Amino acid sequence: MSKQLIIDTATKYIYLSLVVDNKEVESVYQQGDNNHSVTIIPLLDELLQKANLSLQELDEVIVGIGPGSYTGVRIGVTVAKMIGYLNQIRVRTISSLALIASASDQRYVIPYVDARRGNAFVTCLKQENNMLSFVTEESLENLEQYLKQFDFEYELIEEGKPNVKKILASNLLEDVGDIHELKPNYLRITEAERNKNGN
Amino acid sequence: MYVLGVETSCDETSVSVTKDGKEVLSNVVLSQIDIHKEYGGVVPEIASREHIKGITYVFDQAMKDAKIEYKDLDLIAVTQGPGLIGSLLIGVNAAKVISLNYHIPIIGVHHITGHIYASNIEHDFEFPLIALVVSGGHTELILMKEHFSFEKLGETQDDAVGEAYDKVARVLGLPYPGGPVVDRLAKQGVEEYQFPRPMIDSDDFNFSFSGLKSHVINLNHNMQQRNEEVHVENFCRSFQEAVTDVLVAKTIKAKDHYQVKQIVVAGGVAANSGLRQKMKERITDIPVYFPSMKYCTDNAAMISVAGYYKYQKEQKYDDFMLNGSGRLDINEGE
Repeated sequence: MSKQLIIDTATKYIYLSLVVDNKEVESVYQQGDNNHSVTIIPLLDELLQKANLSLQELDEVIVGIGPGSYTGVRIGVTVAKMIGYLNQIRVRTISSLALIASASDQRYVIPYVDARRGNAFVTCLKQENNMLSFVTEESLENLEQYLKQFDFEYELIEEGKPNVKKILASNLLEDVGDIHELKPNYLRITEAERNKNGN
Repeated sequence: MYVLGVETSCDETSVSVTKDGKEVLSNVVLSQIDIHKEYGGVVPEIASREHIKGITYVFDQAMKDAKIEYKDLDLIAVTQGPGLIGSLLIGVNAAKVISLNYHIPIIGVHHITGHIYASNIEHDFEFPLIALVVSGGHTELILMKEHFSFEKLGETQDDAVGEAYDKVARVLGLPYPGGPVVDRLAKQGVEEYQFPRPMIDSDDFNFSFSGLKSHVINLNHNMQQRNEEVHVENFCRSFQEAVTDVLVAKTIKAKDHYQVKQIVVAGGVAANSGLRQKMKERITDIPVYFPSMKYCTDNAAMISVAGYYKYQKEQKYDDFMLNGSGRLDINEGE
């Protein structure tokens, strides 16, 4: 029996899912109030109890590594990193934008996470026979400008409960070799570093 | 009782294991100081990014050094605040995962109580005592009548003393962090300039350093305007004498008023050699304890020990709703 935990906290929503033998047995997808840090462990505890599982029984953790809210994504990645490290189990990462996109059934999907002042972390994915793949690289863009480049029909999507089957079947999951190296995908260096580099 | 301590409130990622609130089995500190130096101060977003990079490595090293396994721990103590919120959240969530993973109880600790308890690692507290807390974010006099009871007698009305050091250092063109550099240069200088001693005779136990800081900055500016040479070592010495005069005078006032048996000095500025010397010279009737250098700056051993005493006093744990808090009163940490 394979037991997987999926975590994503890069958006306004917190997503936790327990998957046993490729079937989602318990999950939570709920809007937070800048409080993923408070809710993540109580929610995880509740989920494990409902499924009658313990962290130590897990075989794998899959974590959304952004891009998205810097503080938000660090919470999920910290939790995944610690679980992987303590129990010496495999950890795989996935784009938090791909997780959002998996909620859609459209051929072309543009998931985004608001980054204020009209900007967003955004990308375009395509799905054929339920297989998700990236059309464009993830980037931080002015959303309105960004969307002008597409001359095909797409669904613009900001939220949606991830589709576990699609995620697990995709080739978008990346193995974390050394758990100590796991960190979020911020997409950008910090403002202080940009200023120092003179950009 | 084995207590795991976790500290990530600013720019040090630290994990420690202590036994019975006394014996330090490990105390691993991953400092980011060389990274923040380039920016002239701690950049919060960079600090958070560094904490998450180093966190599991620091845990692993601390457990190996202590030669203990997670399942054998009795309590997890984690800094809940005050500090940089993004940094605090990493330590708090990492600690909560360990708690959930091994069903070990967890307790949130106020960062300043940690600094105070750093002294108790090497010397036993004798009550009542006065704690002078001096760091980049704090300047406070605290009365302790028993373990884990904190009565704030007074505090700075503006800048913290460490902050004043950093700003004066910046004006003099000295590198960050300014405190240790000013301290080192002060030893080579003499008190050539007469700087004010703000609030030294005030009727309370409060402090103020912004006026002194402005005075120093203005004098430096005016001298440069007049093309007079600023003697940096003497400048540092004069500033340090002014600061330490005030800190020592107020501590003595509190000592006499409350008839205490011991003084402990806590926080990063407790590493200042001028302060150490003046305290020991002017207070000879009761012991004055400074933590050794490794326990002055942020470290998890002090959090672990404070967590031990907090639990002894309260006999209760926190639940999984425990969160980091950028601002936190010391009495909420009781």
